[in-house]
Amino acid sequence: MLKHTTCLCLLTVMMAMTPGRLASQSVERLQVRADSLLREWRRANALADMVDSLNHARAGGTDTISVGALRIVTIPSPARLREAAARAWPVIDSLYGSEARQLEQRPYLIAPYDPDTTSPKPTLRGATQVPWDKDVASLAMMLLMNVPIGRPDSALQNWLGGPVAPIVHPVQARAAVYVQLVTAPSQPARNCFLGVMNDCRTALTLGQSPDPVDQWHPSAAERRALVSRSFAEYFSYSDHGARKPALQSCRAGSDSACTELLRSLPAGVLPRPLTYDARAALVHVALRLGGREAYHRLVATPGTPIADRLAAAAGVSVDSVVALWRSEILTARPAPVTVPPWGPWAALGWTAVFAVCALRSSRWRVS
Amino acid sequence: MARELRWWLAAVLLACGAVAVAYLPPRGAARQAGLGDAPIRQTPARLRAQALAAQWRVANLALRLPEYRKRLQPELLRRRERDEPGPALLIESSESLAPLVRERVRPVLDEVSRQLGLGVTKVSVGLVVDPRRYVSAKAAATPSQDFASPAYLFPDSSDRTTCVALIPAWEWTRTLAGMVPARIEDWIRTGLGPCAFYAVYGAPGKEVRHWLAKRGYDLARVPFWDRERPERPQDSFVMYQNGTRWWWRSVYQFPVTAIGCMAGRTTSCRAAVLSGAAEWTGDSLPRFLESDPRAWWRGQRLLYSDRYLADVVREVGHDRFLRFWNSPDPVDTALAAALKMPVGEWTERWQRRFVPRLPLGPAAPLSATVLGLLLGGAAVVVVALGATRRQVG
Repeated sequence: MLKHTTCLCLLTVMMAMTPGRLASQSVERLQVRADSLLREWRRANALADMVDSLNHARAGGTDTISVGALRIVTIPSPARLREAAARAWPVIDSLYGSEARQLEQRPYLIAPYDPDTTSPKPTLRGATQVPWDKDVASLAMMLLMNVPIGRPDSALQNWLGGPVAPIVHPVQARAAVYVQLVTAPSQPARNCFLGVMNDCRTALTLGQSPDPVDQWHPSAAERRALVSRSFAEYFSYSDHGARKPALQSCRAGSDSACTELLRSLPAGVLPRPLTYDARAALVHVALRLGGREAYHRLVATPGTPIADRLAAAAGVSVDSVVALWRSEILTARPAPVTVPPWGPWAALGWTAVFAVCALRSSRWRVS
Repeated sequence: MARELRWWLAAVLLACGAVAVAYLPPRGAARQAGLGDAPIRQTPARLRAQALAAQWRVANLALRLPEYRKRLQPELLRRRERDEPGPALLIESSESLAPLVRERVRPVLDEVSRQLGLGVTKVSVGLVVDPRRYVSAKAAATPSQDFASPAYLFPDSSDRTTCVALIPAWEWTRTLAGMVPARIEDWIRTGLGPCAFYAVYGAPGKEVRHWLAKRGYDLARVPFWDRERPERPQDSFVMYQNGTRWWWRSVYQFPVTAIGCMAGRTTSCRAAVLSGAAEWTGDSLPRFLESDPRAWWRGQRLLYSDRYLADVVREVGHDRFLRFWNSPDPVDTALAAALKMPVGEWTERWQRRFVPRLPLGPAAPLSATVLGLLLGGAAVVVVALGATRRQVG
């Protein structure tokens, strides 16, 4: 009896211990597996690094092209990068002035490839890939559009809506801004076109406003149009549809609902009266007025308001910069499409010719 | 019309039909890959290192999750004793960062748990938020935590009352302080995933447990049973932004059953939902689940499968879903009983909430069809006219 009881006790104790023991065994096994995998991974990773390094060396190394302060690290190829750099450098130098020296330390990485083969393209980590046969103008354009200069502070970038970059087609860009001034669904933009300088500052978002909704889109119709055209979908689905009733009120004509909806947008999302092109043109005017040190002065004082920074860069008051900007934009009025007097007659004539051709019947009969 | 001509016409039409059947591409067939589509090439050595890293991540997770469960026990016990609802929270990070993360996450977690009705139940939930990029102090000593999807440790024989959810938060470390509460809420809901089902409905019956485990709990990933969540067709990644055109390349990356279900075929819908239900082999089930970090969207057996069971809960109510969840019956029977209609039919209707019916079958472009018909018609008319005007003699 005693023997039976002892056996039963032992069995109970063993059964009670089993899950814990199994768990600890399983943990040990997992630990061994994880450690072994980690060792294998380290070896494999070192090997992969070595293979990558060998592949890089086998690619034939790199060349560095220098024009002014501009540096291009590239794979040896017939691409006409030096000529392109020679074209791009004066533009870059005139925009950034003394700050263009940064480019000595910040090279372009370009990997030209043979456009007439399907063999794998050469690899250069982080490089822009271009075909060898790209013409010089296109290469120069590419260099201008991707200047690897240090980004300015976030305040300037946020205001501008992007980096300070060369304007590749200045005449067309100014003409586009002219069209914006005339057609933008914003009262300050149209007033700026009509000559109200204070509204030009508003349209260029140079002022500090506690309520940009009211300042940038002062009329109820503009606010309603903005909500209905640009944010209807967003407000229908955001917050699991919680803002749908307000959207419906806004559409029904409630200005307060429209204003509230626009105020609820995350910072930086509310559309500004004018686009990047307009502000970039303003920056370019300021930099042109300020000479070689203008860009340096523009980026040197990140804490101050944008209007003051532009004035400091240009060396004149911000009102003068804005006035010059406006006059340049108005001068760039795009040429209207003109139809010569004989144009409509020619069109009608051709129409008649085709109609006659179509209506002519030809009969044939086998006899 | 002469008999010979009729034969010729019939033969031409037949030939046209044969050519069409042989050469018309299926709707949205992928174009040939161009030069720019070539994937980034990795060396075999790099691929092997990446595969080993992936295996290590799984092994490491399997080790860490039980450890977290152990560390969460005191907090879970305290909550049970005080009848305090809501999951226990553990922040796996440095002492300097942990208070900030806790301060942001705790109120939202309490709110989410209130909305989902996670009271004091048989199964408690422990939530671990891990904002580290590397588990080791030295970055290069271990592979990075290269995943952003949650991992789970379900109740098992060593602890039948705890479900642990681990949310990797390294992607959010920089933005957590500025993240709006609604965003954190979505993130935490998704993170709780199947553990929320365990907390509200307890451990599922054997059949349901096997079915879900075999499928990687894909149907119970998002516990959104307390509210309607409208979705736009263009957010489904199978349609373009205009919400009218299909993005065929994405459509064809889904399994056949999912595509069939999008096309409104109830048998495909049924197969997509019940896949895994009859695959029980008697093997022990995995205790933990690591969500597929990268290709989870493509791997879906059904479009929006992650919210399927949550939508079932919303439609049938708590009690009927509980009966299904605990049912000893086969999954198809239990689910059909809860839905009060065949599974395929309900699923087909459910799928229509997200995307319109997918048109399948061969599809010639409209312009080509019109042009072909016009040319064919013109040819027939010319031949017929020629035949009627022909005069002999």
